[in-house]
Amino acid sequence: MVFLDVIRAEMKFVYADIFRRRALLLMMVLWPYLMTLFIVFLGSTLGSIQVFINRFGVNPVPFFIIGSFILLSTLGVLDDIMWKPLYDEMVGVLPYILSSPINRILYYVALPIPRLLIVFLVGMTSVLPILYLFYGLKGILLTFVTMLLASFAALVFTPFVIVCAMLTYIIGGESWRALNVIRPMLFILLGIFYPRWLLPLTLFIVSNILPAAPVVELIQRILLNIVASQGEVLSLLGLAIALGFLYLAPARRLVSSWERRKIREGVRI
Amino acid sequence: MIAMGIAIEVHNLVKRYVTKERRGLIKGKKRVVEALKGISFSVKYGEIVGLLGPNGAGKTTTIKILATLLLPDEGEALVEGYDVVKEANEVRKRIGLMLTVEKGFYGKLTGRENLEYFAALYNIPKKIARKRIDILMHLLELDKLGASDRLFEEFSLGMKARLALARALLRDPPVLLLDEPTLGLDPPSARKIRSLVRELAKNGKAILYTTHNMFEAEIVCDRILLIDNGVIVAQGTPQELKDRIPKLRTIELSLLARDVTPALEALKSIELINDVKVLQSDEMTILKILTSKPEDIVDDVIQVITKHGYEIKRLRIEEPTLEDVFVYITSRTS
Repeated sequence: MVFLDVIRAEMKFVYADIFRRRALLLMMVLWPYLMTLFIVFLGSTLGSIQVFINRFGVNPVPFFIIGSFILLSTLGVLDDIMWKPLYDEMVGVLPYILSSPINRILYYVALPIPRLLIVFLVGMTSVLPILYLFYGLKGILLTFVTMLLASFAALVFTPFVIVCAMLTYIIGGESWRALNVIRPMLFILLGIFYPRWLLPLTLFIVSNILPAAPVVELIQRILLNIVASQGEVLSLLGLAIALGFLYLAPARRLVSSWERRKIREGVRI
Repeated sequence: MIAMGIAIEVHNLVKRYVTKERRGLIKGKKRVVEALKGISFSVKYGEIVGLLGPNGAGKTTTIKILATLLLPDEGEALVEGYDVVKEANEVRKRIGLMLTVEKGFYGKLTGRENLEYFAALYNIPKKIARKRIDILMHLLELDKLGASDRLFEEFSLGMKARLALARALLRDPPVLLLDEPTLGLDPPSARKIRSLVRELAKNGKAILYTTHNMFEAEIVCDRILLIDNGVIVAQGTPQELKDRIPKLRTIELSLLARDVTPALEALKSIELINDVKVLQSDEMTILKILTSKPEDIVDDVIQVITKHGYEIKRLRIEEPTLEDVFVYITSRTS
């Protein structure tokens, strides 16, 4: 009940933010297209689309449109969780949130869900038409499977992101700059724009600490038609869930530590 | 166990801030600033206690500690018997908080949406929240001002203050912490807030009200704590505080002259005159003569002024204000 109330509250904030800023909504709709266009254009000037198809067995356009969607949903979680306290402090809302009796871990887990729902709708305007164009009716099914999996990846990613955000705040203080360092690092480790198993071994091992990484891998395997068995699907999903839960306890502890630190310093009003 | 009738209890509260003073590009020196130096007070249910003092006196620090937004270094603060450090969550359920008026809401949400947002954060069930918001919108005349459907970023300062008070009252808390709630407001909005605060106290709420506006403290608060440099220098009802200073009053003289130096020495030699302040304008000089018995010396003053050939444009005798009390007490303690 409390969890739903927080989602309801955050929905108001996110929807007002997006729907009352038309440019932002338009940007969200266009973003997967622009990203795909940019990568495919860059790739075709350096090499050829046919080489990509021969090597990976998939056309780069659907591959990158799905990649853009995964990026929007998973790294959107990072943006939401790392950005919201900074924004709240800037507009003077943070003291009221910190002095509210709301369950903090529920609050932070609920934070990215409203935007995730909008991202899901954005998927209908980008992933769906492209996959339908390339795969016909099978593309519609593929769209829903990949979008559901990407949203699932975002959800299991949330506790890790909370850990990341709170550690950054505790060690380096609240700063927009930290977000600009962490975002590309996670972007590389998640292996969104290339099959994750092609990462150098060290990075591949490190990427296994990210709960979203196995789901991203699963989406890519489905897209490249290289899913071995039902067992493999379940083990990747199970690994993601287990990792997600693993980060919940430290996330809870770090949120309290950060709040204690804020309160010791004095919350800015 | 909650002391009978006492909502807020503060004992020997101390807060120190550590600031870093820069010396050149690399060097820095830590400096400890003592914002609160062991203050103690209490607030009863149905009482408005004013925390009155200049900027940097420690008013907001006190409010922040009571609102669980700042940890004290020493001492104890209790809200309805719950410790603000050890039982912060219990305290949070019992307080309504109003901090700076111009910030604290989301600009892209309407007044109603903002209140609904905070109602959800305060775990108020949806139906109850809606009813409560309707009542508060009406009570604070926010509905008349169209605040319900207007974005917060389009609000006037007066509307923002009313909305901030509405948020503080969302949960109908027994304790209200209001930090300079009328700062920068237009007179109608300030008056509305003040009358509502008085009404809330009548209904039994314990209210801690900070301000640096002496006039406001005098008309709103049942009891005033004068705070300066982290120390409560005096406390009592406004009348009690006024009675604490010697009955110093001011004879204000407006003279049509620019240089009145020759008369000043003669004025200061009159017995019963405590001090003479000179204010200069283009054509006029205003003399403020502080004395305990203005009626006894006014003739002597006029005599001295006319003897020096100055024309008196206006003469009046002023009663002491709370501001005089504050200046008198703080000048003595410093």
